[in-house]
Amino acid sequence: MNPFMFHTPSRIYFGEETSLTAPDLMREIGGSKVLIITDDVLVKTGLMAPIIDAFKNDGNFEVTVFSDVPPDSDVKCVGSATAVGRGQGCDCILSIGGGSVLDTAKAVAICLTFGGNLEEYQGLNNLSTKLLPHIAIPTTSGTGSEVSMVAMIKDSAERKKLLFGSRFIAPDTAILDPKLLVTLPPKLTAATGLDAVTHAIEAFTSLSTVSVFTDVLCIEALKLLFKWLPIATKSGDDLDARANTLVASTMAGIAFTNTGVGVVHALAHATGGEFGTHHGMTNSVFLPHGMSFNMDAAGDRYAEIARQLKFTENSNNEIAAKTLIDKVEELASSINLPRRLRDMGVPALDGQGVEDLANIASTDPAIMFNPKEATIEDIIGIYERAY
Amino acid sequence: MPAFKNTDELNAVMELLWGTIKDDPGMSSKLIASKLVVRFVYREPEGRLTVDCSDGKTMLVSTGDTSNKPIIEMFMKADVAHEFWLGKVNVPVAILSGKIVSKGPTPKALALLPVIKPAFPMYLDIYETAKKKIASCAE
Ligand SMILES: NC(=O)c1ccc[n+]([C@@H]2O[C@H](COP(=O)([O-])OP(=O)(O)OC[C@H]3O[C@@H](n4cnc5c(N)ncnc54)[C@H](O)[C@@H]3O)[C@@H](O)[C@H]2O)c1
Ligand SMILES: [Fe+2]
Repeated sequence: MNPFMFHTPSRIYFGEETSLTAPDLMREIGGSKVLIITDDVLVKTGLMAPIIDAFKNDGNFEVTVFSDVPPDSDVKCVGSATAVGRGQGCDCILSIGGGSVLDTAKAVAICLTFGGNLEEYQGLNNLSTKLLPHIAIPTTSGTGSEVSMVAMIKDSAERKKLLFGSRFIAPDTAILDPKLLVTLPPKLTAATGLDAVTHAIEAFTSLSTVSVFTDVLCIEALKLLFKWLPIATKSGDDLDARANTLVASTMAGIAFTNTGVGVVHALAHATGGEFGTHHGMTNSVFLPHGMSFNMDAAGDRYAEIARQLKFTENSNNEIAAKTLIDKVEELASSINLPRRLRDMGVPALDGQGVEDLANIASTDPAIMFNPKEATIEDIIGIYERAY
Repeated sequence: MPAFKNTDELNAVMELLWGTIKDDPGMSSKLIASKLVVRFVYREPEGRLTVDCSDGKTMLVSTGDTSNKPIIEMFMKADVAHEFWLGKVNVPVAILSGKIVSKGPTPKALALLPVIKPAFPMYLDIYETAKKKIASCAE
């Protein structure tokens, strides 16, 4: 067995309408001037109003709302939210939204805690103390950002993504309220769900960092996702389906934040950074190709997943592993996700363009955890097969 | 037993190592092209080594405090650095567990790994040579 370290800093609360208990939970972790970070879409759905009211009616909080987070938020947005929080003297953060909102809030927590420029805090494990109290409430079921120890923020001007990784970045508390996901449209339900599937599969095959703890989380998350994601996508108001996919994405989040991910995420980050494609959707296109590439190093692990999920009883690892790849493809197709990059609007690149993109992917931190080394040529091959 | 008795020994080994990298055009040309300033901050024993390629023309290697602001900083125990150069550190595990802490743009730091790889097989000789030299100076 590999030596390993496993930890999960966030407390997790699950239940319908648990989001309304956020003021009580915030009181427990400290803070009274709350900065609520969200986006306009969520404000318009009406999801936010009861939660904001809960804080206002509680009587113990001053509430400031920042709802200007765009999908795939950037340094500028973090700067604006920080300025608002600082201006109001906010001492705690509540984030409600998808991965973009949650990652933004993590970066704002860094800036409000330490001051100065966000760029200075890039790095891995370089933060020295706890951040401002932060409660995260996910409204998509994919990223796992509500429990993960990382945040990625785009620097649009410099066309790069800044990475922040530290146990202090994980929110203190994650509230999983399936009712908040009912309004998530089918396409985003499907795409974010495949992000979670990718987290679980890549975490399970991050061979240098996996542990039995992460294994069980990955397997259970995949069982739930394969069963419930098609239902959540088709019937968005099915609360069982929302609950199961939400919990599964958080489980996969705990797993990958302890193990790292792999070449699929490296390529999705590079492609998303270049063309603005949705993170989960991009993962879903690369996933079967990344798995095929990793077959010789991780085939037995794929086979184990296939057997545990009862996709096959075949004892031949290669055949069982291929069954899993087929099942991933089947799942993504059944929920109408695009199956090629060109179908997502990614323009055709010339040789140099693909090589540049592969170079970006080859230095993406995710690549460190891939079960085998991926050369530039390997990455180009995966990209071209996915195109 | 710790790999380095004191800061002088650590500095001597790291200076010889990076001097060798600098003299190897295969490695140094890529480092210079990166225009990076990388600082390694060691503890037990304490030590600092800065590799400055900021002008895109030369590679300056210095130990101790320097005024040039690093773009990337890597923090680790000196023993971890020793094991790293011996090729015995599982880098993903060391990074996840905080044994190696990186500050600054991680992708830029990762891009350097394959560049300095050819120095790995040279390290043991460099380590022994530098240690002998410093021991004979002390006599
Ligand atoms: N930190 C991490 O661990 C981690 C992991 C994976 C991805 N990410 C990041 O997360 C981001 C992607 O997050 P995402 O996939 O959750 O999408 P997102 O946050 O970008 O949201 C996509 C869209 O869905 C809308 N939306 C969200 N919840 C809704 C709801 N309940 N009803 C209606 N509309 C809703 C949003 O308003 C937005 O327009 C990327 O920036 C990615 O880099 C972070
Ligand atoms: Fe992801």
